[in-house]
Amino acid sequence: MNPENLRFAETHEWACLGGGTVVVGLSAYAVEQLGDIVYIELPAAGAVVAKGKPFGVIESVKAASDLYAPVTGSVVEVNSDIAASLDAFKTDPYGAAWLIKVSPAKTAELDSLMNAKGYDAFCKAQGEH
Amino acid sequence: MDGRKTVLCDKHVAAGAKLVDFAGWQMPIQYPRGIVHEHLLTRRQCGLFDVSHMGRFIIRGGGCEAFLRYVLTNDAAGLAIGNSHYTILADESGGAVDDAYLYHVAPHEYLLVVNASNKEKDWAHIEEQANAFADVLMEDRSNDLAMIAVQGPQSEAVLGAIVEQGALPEPKRNMLGRIIVCGTEVIAARTGYTGEPMCFELFVDAAAAGTIWDALARQGAEPVGLGARDTLRLEASLPLYGHEFGKDRDGADIPVLACPAAKLAVNMTARRRAFIGQAAIARQVQALESYKQGDFHRLSDLPRRVRSLAVLGPGIARPGDAVLADGDVVGCVTSGTMAPYWKYRLEGERACLTDEHALRAVALALIDSRIAVGTRLAVQIRGRAVDAKVVERNLENRRGPVSYAILHT
Repeated sequence: MNPENLRFAETHEWACLGGGTVVVGLSAYAVEQLGDIVYIELPAAGAVVAKGKPFGVIESVKAASDLYAPVTGSVVEVNSDIAASLDAFKTDPYGAAWLIKVSPAKTAELDSLMNAKGYDAFCKAQGEH
Repeated sequence: MDGRKTVLCDKHVAAGAKLVDFAGWQMPIQYPRGIVHEHLLTRRQCGLFDVSHMGRFIIRGGGCEAFLRYVLTNDAAGLAIGNSHYTILADESGGAVDDAYLYHVAPHEYLLVVNASNKEKDWAHIEEQANAFADVLMEDRSNDLAMIAVQGPQSEAVLGAIVEQGALPEPKRNMLGRIIVCGTEVIAARTGYTGEPMCFELFVDAAAAGTIWDALARQGAEPVGLGARDTLRLEASLPLYGHEFGKDRDGADIPVLACPAAKLAVNMTARRRAFIGQAAIARQVQALESYKQGDFHRLSDLPRRVRSLAVLGPGIARPGDAVLADGDVVGCVTSGTMAPYWKYRLEGERACLTDEHALRAVALALIDSRIAVGTRLAVQIRGRAVDAKVVERNLENRRGPVSYAILHT
């Protein structure tokens, strides 16, 4: 079950709006699908990200995957601890494993993302394919 | 999911394995604890692998030595009963149809183990050649003979604990013997594909495979999937057909001796009779010999070699990434991953592993033969040139029963 206060992209990033910034991370489902995460590359603070465009890369033992921004805006903070504590993706995907905080250009973009219930159904459908 | 199941597939499902299609087989890519855990446990304790998807051919009869000497690059005539060796099915141009392991199991009887993805091609290739030889019988035993690998420092204790009759083969790589486990006769060979000094591969009746698998697990062997099998072989710089053998990314044949490991599989001694690919491979041997003297005029016979890389900068080299020397492309990554390792202290030549682990990126790359070990290079990872170094090896496995990471700077 995915946390109810979050919004989810079809590319499995989560977004959480609070205090004018959007915190972005990767869903527990995506972490489970990737397997052991062994490397991550994130933008620097100040970088501009665009909804639906890659902002970083996450790698499992087997393969590299792009991370897609769920919202357009500028990066105000980057989780600099995550590279050294990759286990957090498994243990705390919606907390300690956050990736970037974005100052959003248009918060209305979040409306096009799925809510927790919709995302649960989306993941289930993916699993059946 | 489509695909054939090995006789052990139910065991993998029961253990919670994630199954993937591999060469038409449903195989476990990993078990619930994941590839990193499985890699590390094999280096420290004992990994248990179902490798029954591989092809197993019995070749026997009075004419089989002459035949095997012709279709394989190593010399079956030099292989004693109870021994095995690495070998290659070469083509006339000196490329690899496949790499394989040949086990001399009984007088005039050999077991040839080939890659799952090449099984049909290999069978057709050798069967065609067999027609020219008298008294050669070929049998595909892949279905009724299962294959289980037991790898890692504790593998001897694990396997030893379930032996009911007979003795484990002499403690020397490649030796094999017959033992009774779980009431069944098994061929046990000191071979493997993990780089572990202590290692066994078992050839068992398919009907007994499940019982034997469970007995090994009860002794502490933990199942390991194809994901960690790949990181283990890559950390040990062992080649994989389709990456370091076969065709390169431009579709050209990779000469067999481009792989350092192939030196163990090619026998060019004076007593050697004609074999497929001999002339081309002889030219590759001459090229390698002249390279040792710093003479590269035979470069066209072996323009590129497979080298181990330590990736020193951030990122993971992946197959297809360009390798650069001073900004010029000198080759391409053939295999690359992030490999976990146990941190250790060296006491003399012996490594004492700690309980901490870390990760480092390792790769194999097909690069210009003129580039020497120790050379600093770059790998183009997603448009960025990342520091790397050509190294002799990334894993030390020749000193005692425990292997350990060689950390390059």
